[in-house]
Amino acid sequence: MGTITALGLILLICMVAVGGSQGLQAWISLIFNFGALFFAMVLMAFHLPPVLVTLVTGIIVLAMTIFLGGKDSTSTMVAFYASVAVLILLVIIIIPVEHWAQIQGFGQEDSEDLEGMSTILGISYLDVAISTAILSTLGAIAEAAIAIAAGLAEILEQHPKITLKNLQGAGFRVGSQIIGTTFNTLFFGFFGGFLALFIWFAGVHYSMGEILNDKILVGEVLMVLFSMMSVIATIPLTTWAMVASERQARKKFVK
Amino acid sequence: MINQANKTHSLWQRWWPFLVVILGALLVFGVAHDDSLYQTPILKIQSIKQISSTKQSDQFHNEDRQVEQELHGVITNGRNKGKHLKIENTYLKSESTTLGYHTGQKVFLTAHHHNGQLSATISNLKRDTALAFTVWLTVSLLLVLMRFSGLMALTSVIVNGILFWLAVSWNADTQGGIVLMIFGGLAIVFAALTLVIVIGFNRQMLMTLLSTIGGTALSIIVALIVFSLTHEKGVYYESMQYVTQLPRPLFLAETILGSLGAVMDESTDIIASLTALKAEKPDVSAKQIFKSGRQIGGEIMGPLVNVLFFIFVAETLPMALLYLKNANSWNYSFNMTMSLGVVQSLISGIGIVLTIPLACGITSLMIGGGRKWGRLQH
Repeated sequence: MGTITALGLILLICMVAVGGSQGLQAWISLIFNFGALFFAMVLMAFHLPPVLVTLVTGIIVLAMTIFLGGKDSTSTMVAFYASVAVLILLVIIIIPVEHWAQIQGFGQEDSEDLEGMSTILGISYLDVAISTAILSTLGAIAEAAIAIAAGLAEILEQHPKITLKNLQGAGFRVGSQIIGTTFNTLFFGFFGGFLALFIWFAGVHYSMGEILNDKILVGEVLMVLFSMMSVIATIPLTTWAMVASERQARKKFVK
Repeated sequence: MINQANKTHSLWQRWWPFLVVILGALLVFGVAHDDSLYQTPILKIQSIKQISSTKQSDQFHNEDRQVEQELHGVITNGRNKGKHLKIENTYLKSESTTLGYHTGQKVFLTAHHHNGQLSATISNLKRDTALAFTVWLTVSLLLVLMRFSGLMALTSVIVNGILFWLAVSWNADTQGGIVLMIFGGLAIVFAALTLVIVIGFNRQMLMTLLSTIGGTALSIIVALIVFSLTHEKGVYYESMQYVTQLPRPLFLAETILGSLGAVMDESTDIIASLTALKAEKPDVSAKQIFKSGRQIGGEIMGPLVNVLFFIFVAETLPMALLYLKNANSWNYSFNMTMSLGVVQSLISGIGIVLTIPLACGITSLMIGGGRKWGRLQH
């Protein structure tokens, strides 16, 4: 048995043992997300526009992660709408910044990996860079949206008569509880994964100026920042979506 | 007098994030004009002429366009400041290894002196302004929307960033010989510091720290057992990027650091909720604490595993596409580019799941009350 299969099976067993059917759902959503990512890549290789492919994949992935993760139907709906809004907002920020920083493609640090490779590709690597940045934030958006929506749903359950203004305040309070730890998840997730690059910088004695303008490093830091922005934006957007949905529900109730 | 002092105080409380935003904007402006801080000559591109654009293709029938451009610009720093220069640049439209430049951009030059004539080639694009701008945008959003908790989150990230860099330098000094020890030890320091900043120093923080370290350690132990049982079949260390030292310990160090944040995030969530539960209902039994912790954990583990999965695997996309376009099979492309990211996600996932019973166990043992734990057996 290959290592990946073995680790995947152990993950499945652990998830089911701890979370029961919810664990099974979590495992399925992970497998599905891998399939979606791989499929998106194959479509890009067939010259479909990368950003468009990514947007469609992104919305499908958000739906799968959120609907397979949550139970309560109102809060998952709210989380989904909010996460799609965040995704769109993020794309609006990512596209101009990536055009500006031009971090697409490979850096001089990659030259060993590129040996013998043809770089005549016919795919815009700027679009690929934009797609990579968007894809890498999807998990963070889904997680934050679920956390805020679930937190608010719980508050609504305990205090069904809470005013909409207080509900909004509660959303920001839930947000302030998750933001510190979520930032660290992102920080370690990205920088841990790029430990080798930093060791390279230290080993070759890059100057501060070289590091701050390096293609790979700037690209990596931009991805961390985009993810952090997406988490920040998720807090108000999910809260407002929840308030709006509650307002509508109450109107119906009054009628 | 006192009234006035209070007034300034509340004004300050209300407006400090905006002050930071304005100061930050000035800083970004400064970075946009920091050319004289660099030793390397910088050229500001003033006009561009496209010389030619020809079709290119390779043996895999990929087609691209090769563009030649002539850049005119002026040097903005150093000895040759003010000198005008003409540089030719050739790039492929796909821009995977070469770049096309635009008017208004600044580039770093490698200068050559030939018979007293100055000529130069472009070594890199100046990206520090774009970087500073995005940092400013993120920090501004964070402080204006989240205020104090945003400031705390920012502080913990900065502290961790500094520590991270110190550890990387230390690793370089020891030639990477003890990379696992450095970053394993660092993981503990990271976790302790972050939790003190986020939670404060108390019993809850100690429980969270214990569960974070335990969960991360468990995932690595499971990974090592699986590695030895499967003889690391399908783990291609040769596909690791930027490797300057022994890849296997480096990979494990990357995995430890990568999953640390998520495991910490989860432990914090579970233990904070359980502590709140205990405060609300002091007579709750250890068994009930364990049960509700498991429920909370079950809800957050799926999304958390996906966070790391997208971080680890999405960034392999450019390289994977390159392999595919070079007529490699899907299988080979996956093995050479994505497989390590997938292994990393799976190990982190196992850590995230195993942390749940660990966090619940620690909490119910430490605050579950005197009598109840034994009842779990029945």
